[in-house]
Amino acid sequence: MQLQILKRTRRISFSGAVAVFVSAILLSLLFSGILLSLGGTPAVAGFSTLFKGGFGSRWALEDSVLKAIPIFLCSLGVAVAFRLKVWNIGAEGQYALGAIGATGVALAFPDWPSWAVLPLMALSAACAGGIWGLIPALLRQKMHTNEIIVTLMFNYIAVYLLQYLVLGVWRDPNSHGFAVSAAFSDAAIIGPLSDAASVHWGLVHCIVLGILLLLFFRYTRIGYEIKAAGENMNAARYAGIRVDFLVCLVMAISGGLAGWAGFVEVSATVNQLQPSMLVGYGYTAIVVAWLARLNPAGIAVTSFLLAGLRVGVESLQLDLQVPADFGDILEGSILLMVLAAGLFLEYRIVRKGRT
Amino acid sequence: MSEALIRLEGISKSFGRVRANSNVSLEIVGGRVLALLGENGAGKSTLMSILAGQLRPDSGTVSARGRVLQLTSPEEAIAAGIGMVYQHFKLVEAMTVAENVFLGHRQMLINRRRIEAEVKALASQFGMSVKPSAVIRDLSMGERQQVEILKLLYRRSEVLIFDEPTAVLTPAEAENLFATMRLMLAQGKGIVFISHKLEEVMSVADDIAILRRGEIVDTVPVIEVSSTAELAERMVGRKVLLEVEKKPVEIRQQVLSLHGLGCGERGDGVSFELRQGEILGIVGVAGNGQKELVETVCGLCKPHSGTVRIFGREWGEFFRTAADDPDNTLAWIAEDRQGLATCPSLDLLDNFLLTTRRSFSGGPGKLFLFREEARKRAEYLLKTFDVRPPDLSAAAWQLSGGNLQKMVLAREFYRKPRLIVAEQPTQGLDISAMEEVWKLLLKAREAAGILLVTGDLAEALTLSDRIGVMFDGRLLACFPVEDTVSLAAVPQMMAGICKKSATV
Repeated sequence: MQLQILKRTRRISFSGAVAVFVSAILLSLLFSGILLSLGGTPAVAGFSTLFKGGFGSRWALEDSVLKAIPIFLCSLGVAVAFRLKVWNIGAEGQYALGAIGATGVALAFPDWPSWAVLPLMALSAACAGGIWGLIPALLRQKMHTNEIIVTLMFNYIAVYLLQYLVLGVWRDPNSHGFAVSAAFSDAAIIGPLSDAASVHWGLVHCIVLGILLLLFFRYTRIGYEIKAAGENMNAARYAGIRVDFLVCLVMAISGGLAGWAGFVEVSATVNQLQPSMLVGYGYTAIVVAWLARLNPAGIAVTSFLLAGLRVGVESLQLDLQVPADFGDILEGSILLMVLAAGLFLEYRIVRKGRT
Repeated sequence: MSEALIRLEGISKSFGRVRANSNVSLEIVGGRVLALLGENGAGKSTLMSILAGQLRPDSGTVSARGRVLQLTSPEEAIAAGIGMVYQHFKLVEAMTVAENVFLGHRQMLINRRRIEAEVKALASQFGMSVKPSAVIRDLSMGERQQVEILKLLYRRSEVLIFDEPTAVLTPAEAENLFATMRLMLAQGKGIVFISHKLEEVMSVADDIAILRRGEIVDTVPVIEVSSTAELAERMVGRKVLLEVEKKPVEIRQQVLSLHGLGCGERGDGVSFELRQGEILGIVGVAGNGQKELVETVCGLCKPHSGTVRIFGREWGEFFRTAADDPDNTLAWIAEDRQGLATCPSLDLLDNFLLTTRRSFSGGPGKLFLFREEARKRAEYLLKTFDVRPPDLSAAAWQLSGGNLQKMVLAREFYRKPRLIVAEQPTQGLDISAMEEVWKLLLKAREAAGILLVTGDLAEALTLSDRIGVMFDGRLLACFPVEDTVSLAAVPQMMAGICKKSATV
């Protein structure tokens, strides 16, 4: 029997797309389940621990939401760049720069009230992250560098810059040798939504920024230009769209959003600058953006799910002694399966001779 | 004459309603060069893709020495002894010559030294100088082409197809290539040579086949062709396929003026003026600077030399301010409809907005885009221009060539252009779509000056008020279409033979 791949002439139905997506997830679970059992952990018990740990209790859900917040903001950012086919792999570094920018303001103005210091921290973080994104864009234009390589390398520079700051000028003298900055004043901390909840106001930042971005793409001329240029760069030039300007713009927005994530994380969760806050949210954000096919609502759902995975893997590690790296394997296999399944959204496979 | 190595019989291939090849029969004979001539879109590449196993014909057969071949993949074509030297080389830049030649062989162990020795022997046998151990990225274009040829010789190809092989070569490299080709012929191999350079064809080919709109219109041994001019005449043809009514229009202000614009390598350039109300048809064999002319006038690349004035404004100034001036609009009907004029995967509304986006924007800095307004307008235009399906949510790639071109025309005419650059506007369209496009262009002429760049002389004659002939980056002549004396000399001029009498 010979098979033939044909391009779909009409878009796949919604239920068809869901079926494709669900089978991809199931396949990746099967694959990682086999890995789990090979490691000596029963797959069913493993996944049930994972699921309960990530989504099974109020505490777990809240923790997942907390982790989803920085992932969501970073992912929103990289998705903007990906729409133009500019491959920003540097969300992690832009996130670190955002944390640095916010910390600078928080440490400089410890006496300021919240209404003054928090907006300034956000502004400083978004600018720092934005500039960190803009530099690779400018290098790409002026020196024809590859933005994948440059943004990736900028991550390392950002990480070491952060370490340099907490080991040097910003080191808290009372830290007993730990590489951390001084704790922020209460005014510089984004508080919880209510006294009973651990979820903080950063969630509202996510909702507002997500909606703003959605509106930007739907109702502005520049949003349209990014979409058109992302589809066909040559057609954009033909139509007089300033592609060079758009590349700089998307990288600045992209970096700005990752920077904002750094601000929310350092202010609401860590309350001081410390290297342990760099746990790879910026890389997970790339996975999320692809899984959600760059759609903001999809990014919201997916970042929550992958954050839950991170939380669940912690219980897996505690309860069943599965190494934490299993989370990365699961994340990677889901990405690969879903990307591969993307083929079925654009093409259909038929037996030769039939159409 | 010896027996044919490859025989094509009754090959037809359609893409939708467009016939790319229609009942084509050809023979490729060992020891002879068959030149394939034809304008862009005449069906040469479709035909060669069928031979190279990349496309399957709707009907007709390819046979080798009497045996019918089923060419369903490039590997099968190579196994049948048919190899293609593509215009854009398919080489791995980081690998050596020998590694590239060996690439694709399904063999587990590689004896590097033996392969290098074999490649070296093969190269010297066919008069090629490339070193087997050299890395591709250090090689000149001529040497890279030699590697492509070596790949085919190594696979014992009997028929080699060269797609515009001299386009990237220096004259000396081209001479080397011809020497290599002669050595291959001496070994009994057959060669298909595709080129736009008529002189080259005259000097290299033994037989010439001419394709026009998918059909072989002429097959002739080169000794029966007296001059390149005769070749050009055979190629462009004169048969007017259909008549459209052309009303006289009052000629008004100047919209475009070129002075000594460098198109291609030659600097002396192109000079002409174009006024509102007239169509200037630029004809010539493809690759004589038309592309450079169009891309410069349309702002995609800077003028090399000379000056371009659009609506009286200097080139740079015009394109800096073009976006903000709705009264001085330049519309470009690009030849590459799928790659340049539209975004194939976006829907028709988004494609409609591509060049009209500023007319539907408002607010500070024209920040906001009024999609609903655009939707109403675009829906109306799709109906008036009879684009099928008249459905704004269809993706551009789902439209046939003719409907896509009508969509592009609807969009561009909506902008009320005063200067239109129409580049091969009916290429790949069927007769009825062609007639509609011609009528639309003639109507647009009432308000605009149109620069029509075409390889189809019949089209130029039907539509134009004046005809210009381009050769080797120069405008050889520019005359009114009623000037029958100059018109008769067009084939000569297309072959580069310039008559003094023609007025520039």
